[in-house]
Amino acid sequence: MIFHILFISLLTLLISTVGSPMNIWPTPRSLTWTSPHAILLSTSFTINSPSHRYLTPAVNRYLRQILTTHYTPLLPPTLNLTVTPPLQTLTISVDDVTAPLSPSVNESYTLTVTSHSATMTSATVWGAMRGLETFSQLIWGDPTRIASGLVVTDWPVFEHRGVMLDTGRNYYPVEDLIRLIGSMSANKLNVFHWHLTDSQSFPLVLESEPGLAGNGSYGSGMEYSREDVERVVEFGLEHGVRIVPEIDMPGHTGSWAEAYPDIVTCANMFWWPAGAAWEDRLASEPGTGHLNPLIPKTYDVVKNVVKETTTLFPDSFYHAGADETVPSCWKADPTIQAYLANNGTLSQVLEIFINNTNPYIVSLNRTTVYWEDVILDAGIKVNPLTLPPETTIMQTWNAGPDNTKRLVSAGYRTIVSSSDFYYLDCGHGDFTGNNSAYDQPPGFDQKKGGSWCGPFKTWQLIYNYDITYGLNETEAKLVLGGEVALWSEQADPTVLDSRMWPRASAMAESLWSGNRDETGKKRSADATDRLSEWIHRMVSRGVKAEPIQPLWCIKNPGMCNTANPIF
Amino acid sequence: MSTHIHSLILIFQILLTFIFPSISAIDQSPINIWPKPRSFTWTTPHAILISPSFTITSPPHNYLSLAVNRYLRQIQTAQYKPLLIPAINLTNSPPLQTLTITIYDINAPLSHGVNESYTLTIPSNTTSATLMAATTWAAMRGLASFSQLVWGNPARVAAGLIISDWPMFEHRGVLLDTSRNYFGVETLLRLIGAMSANKLNVFHWHITDAQSFPLVLKSEPELARKGSYGPDMQYSAEDVKRVVEFGLEHGVRIIPEIDMPGHTGSWAEAYPEIVACANMFWWPAGAPWEDRLAAEPGTGHLNPVIPKTYEVVKNIIQETTTLFPDSFYHGGADEVVPGCWKADPTIQNYLAGNKTLSQILEIFITTTNPFITSLNRTAVYWEDVILDAEIKVNASVLPAETTIMQTWNGGPTNIKRLVSAGYRTIVSSSDFYYLDCGHGDFTGNNSAYDQPFDFEQKKGGSWCNPFKTWQLIYNYDITDGLTKDEAKLVLGGEVALWSEQSDPGVLDSRIWPRASAMAEALWSGNRDETGMKRYADATDRLNEWVNRMVSLGVQAEPIQPLWCVRNPGMCNTYNPIF
Repeated sequence: MIFHILFISLLTLLISTVGSPMNIWPTPRSLTWTSPHAILLSTSFTINSPSHRYLTPAVNRYLRQILTTHYTPLLPPTLNLTVTPPLQTLTISVDDVTAPLSPSVNESYTLTVTSHSATMTSATVWGAMRGLETFSQLIWGDPTRIASGLVVTDWPVFEHRGVMLDTGRNYYPVEDLIRLIGSMSANKLNVFHWHLTDSQSFPLVLESEPGLAGNGSYGSGMEYSREDVERVVEFGLEHGVRIVPEIDMPGHTGSWAEAYPDIVTCANMFWWPAGAAWEDRLASEPGTGHLNPLIPKTYDVVKNVVKETTTLFPDSFYHAGADETVPSCWKADPTIQAYLANNGTLSQVLEIFINNTNPYIVSLNRTTVYWEDVILDAGIKVNPLTLPPETTIMQTWNAGPDNTKRLVSAGYRTIVSSSDFYYLDCGHGDFTGNNSAYDQPPGFDQKKGGSWCGPFKTWQLIYNYDITYGLNETEAKLVLGGEVALWSEQADPTVLDSRMWPRASAMAESLWSGNRDETGKKRSADATDRLSEWIHRMVSRGVKAEPIQPLWCIKNPGMCNTANPIF
Repeated sequence: MSTHIHSLILIFQILLTFIFPSISAIDQSPINIWPKPRSFTWTTPHAILISPSFTITSPPHNYLSLAVNRYLRQIQTAQYKPLLIPAINLTNSPPLQTLTITIYDINAPLSHGVNESYTLTIPSNTTSATLMAATTWAAMRGLASFSQLVWGNPARVAAGLIISDWPMFEHRGVLLDTSRNYFGVETLLRLIGAMSANKLNVFHWHITDAQSFPLVLKSEPELARKGSYGPDMQYSAEDVKRVVEFGLEHGVRIIPEIDMPGHTGSWAEAYPEIVACANMFWWPAGAPWEDRLAAEPGTGHLNPVIPKTYEVVKNIIQETTTLFPDSFYHGGADEVVPGCWKADPTIQNYLAGNKTLSQILEIFITTTNPFITSLNRTAVYWEDVILDAEIKVNASVLPAETTIMQTWNGGPTNIKRLVSAGYRTIVSSSDFYYLDCGHGDFTGNNSAYDQPFDFEQKKGGSWCNPFKTWQLIYNYDITDGLTKDEAKLVLGGEVALWSEQSDPGVLDSRIWPRASAMAEALWSGNRDETGMKRYADATDRLNEWVNRMVSLGVQAEPIQPLWCVRNPGMCNTYNPIF
């Protein structure tokens, strides 16, 4: 690290990557390129690397891609092709080849491409995968050429850079998850937060609880078998992407009632009775059901689920949900009514649930991640004392920087998914039927267009979000990073790519190397041009990313900028 | 003749309504046709098998025969799996062997106002179904309905029913901008095919704009050669022919738009001398919005005060009308901005002689509009040409007989202004029908997105925010507030996809199912028999239709979790949400 810091202070002052004819996304921390030029890549080009169960497949994958892609950039790089013998090898050396893929694993690498050789040194095999991706983005054309005479020194600002996908509301086949994880890796994102189950369906097949998917999935063709999960986990390891499972509970469990109606309160009830106040809803959206914390049977099932899930997913994080516990669902249940009649509170009911499950999760050697609601909800929440910061991480989704601040100042490591910035589903209206909001007199104010978290979160908004805003240095250290989230009420495999990309790329750069240039200015203008090129490369790799500008803008650099504020 | 037949069909339909007044069965119908037919009589819902040797007999016709073959193949091979298996008994009747199509006027060309009414009868006790259609184009609508009555493996079809159907509005379209970003011909064909399945009948092809000029013209080869995005991002004469023919095979008219005099920056690559303010920065730093050179990046307006302009323009119009047989020709004329023309010395001279920018536009229109008309075309203009706040022509210059206006601003207010001025009007109100809205802004270096944290995100940078949901589109009443006579001048509507932030990768999900929402609203309306808006019922039906479109290879966006479909009514709300 000291080497890095020295290196930076000596060299980045000389060279700024702005205006570089080559684009790496996310842009590296340091790119030193004294005399930009390109050299050919030999058709017998190879990559030498230490043999490793996961690095070796990654090397083979990149080698194939490098030799066969012949990427055509939107703008041909203005680089002279120098006449030297073509590049024959990239040699990778890894400092610690045994470091497992885990939170805060060292992802730093240094990549040097001269006119006669290419070398990469990395701290870990996972760092090497980041460097390989960078290397692949230096390559284009037919015959294949590579930017040369450069040194990239790179490591992330935040260690947790993730995408959350909800496979409970609509189902995604494994192929789609694999495509997502592959493109995450290309963006140097390293955590796939898999929101597996919800009130609408329970697609995860568990040997210990076969009835849950057997009765609660959308059907036998819409389940994740043990082999499917294994495939996703292995694919993640080959791409340096951790897979963090979430089995949301005690709310969002309506689908469990298909197998166990006795452990789920208010299941299959209408979610928001006509004329009732919002406070009296049975769920925050259609699909009711909360686990009943007061009956022992609940924990038999929950422990089986937790236990087997941790066996399926080796990652040390386990996401236990705990969002949106709503009063009326529990109040609708006679056993809970009896408890409340004895001066018990709903928060105590939740505390019973957390106290019966959290130590169990911890006993399985897992760090528990909870949605912030578990301690910040206005109505039902537990005392933070029940959740020790050493073994608990909070994930925030409300109120932007305010809640981030509340969580870290309470001492919790925090993952940021503020809905105002990182929710990718927002802005496409509402999915409830019979909604009179859309039938209004002409001239009415369309406001948020029915989307509770409207407007649509543009890539620029995501890019500019500073997730440690307003925190002191100690607090900021507790912010592990962020996750963009795609809730799937109105998403499925057909729209996954365009909803995800390039907006997840915007966060990827922000969390890898920041959203500011060397002078401390936000660099979203420069990022626009680079992102267009990156979208184009992603599309060429089979990811249907959404365009952000007319092609004309790329061909006429600067002409699509605005020098005046628009809003 | 054809009017006579139409009234006969109408009388038949009215009779049906009297004979079976109690049946509004379709609301609870286990079978979904999108857009919902005007009249659907189904006394005892049941299904029969379709014979493996099922055929469709129809009078020979260049385009209908192709459509028949296409639907036949689809019916025989699709084996569609509905989201909810229709609760319909399969009776033991012999399988359906034939669909017999009868056409009253086989010669009627595909044109504006062509009769699209049909009656489809699938009896329960014979092996033959019949489709009586006013024209071949109506037969295509009937075939679309028939195909939606078929599902399963082995294939079965709903039986014992009579559908009488005809559209409320004759103009039901989709506008696609192929200039900001390029769309390959295959993508256009997929769009037109899906439009036909939705009974949409007009593809408004906004071919060119300031950003690129992809249309290859023999008379003006330099325009595309220099002004397109590249040789592989052009539309050749063969490409256009393929699109037009594909349209005819699907009953979809293709209306070309070569936008002018604004939105012509791309012409300057070939003819810098005829384009004012080309390649200038669109909105100078510190300048007020009124002094912009273009409404968005990509400057350039044709210069109406030099003769050379008209040589080029007339070549273009002439050749475009040869390429596109439709009787409508879209002449553009939107967003003429003062700053652009004012930047040009010849126009400055002209203005110095006490002339106005509106007079300059009038010179352009009076020189080009009669030429368009002389080529036997009805000119369609964006409303700006007479409604713009600053630069507009006197309405007397554009006779209502040969001119149609397309509105995009001001919702029902502008519709009213146009029809009360006597113009036939196509509705594309941006507040309802612009499919690109709500995905932010595409300009770079936009400080709007970098604000203090408590800032109100407002429109999220999208001028026409929010995203227009299918519900909003479905509920829009395009003749709201008009008298009966005025309402007659509303030809219909077009949803519009401007492509600054779209390309082939996102086309399907941006268009579907939102264009389907308009398709039903304009075909059979957005209300039930009691006059109530039927969006709740439409939700369930649209889920099924989205699923069928996806099964046909169209990547439509989902509108609900599958759970909602499986639990009918449970995802509704009885309390307003906004």
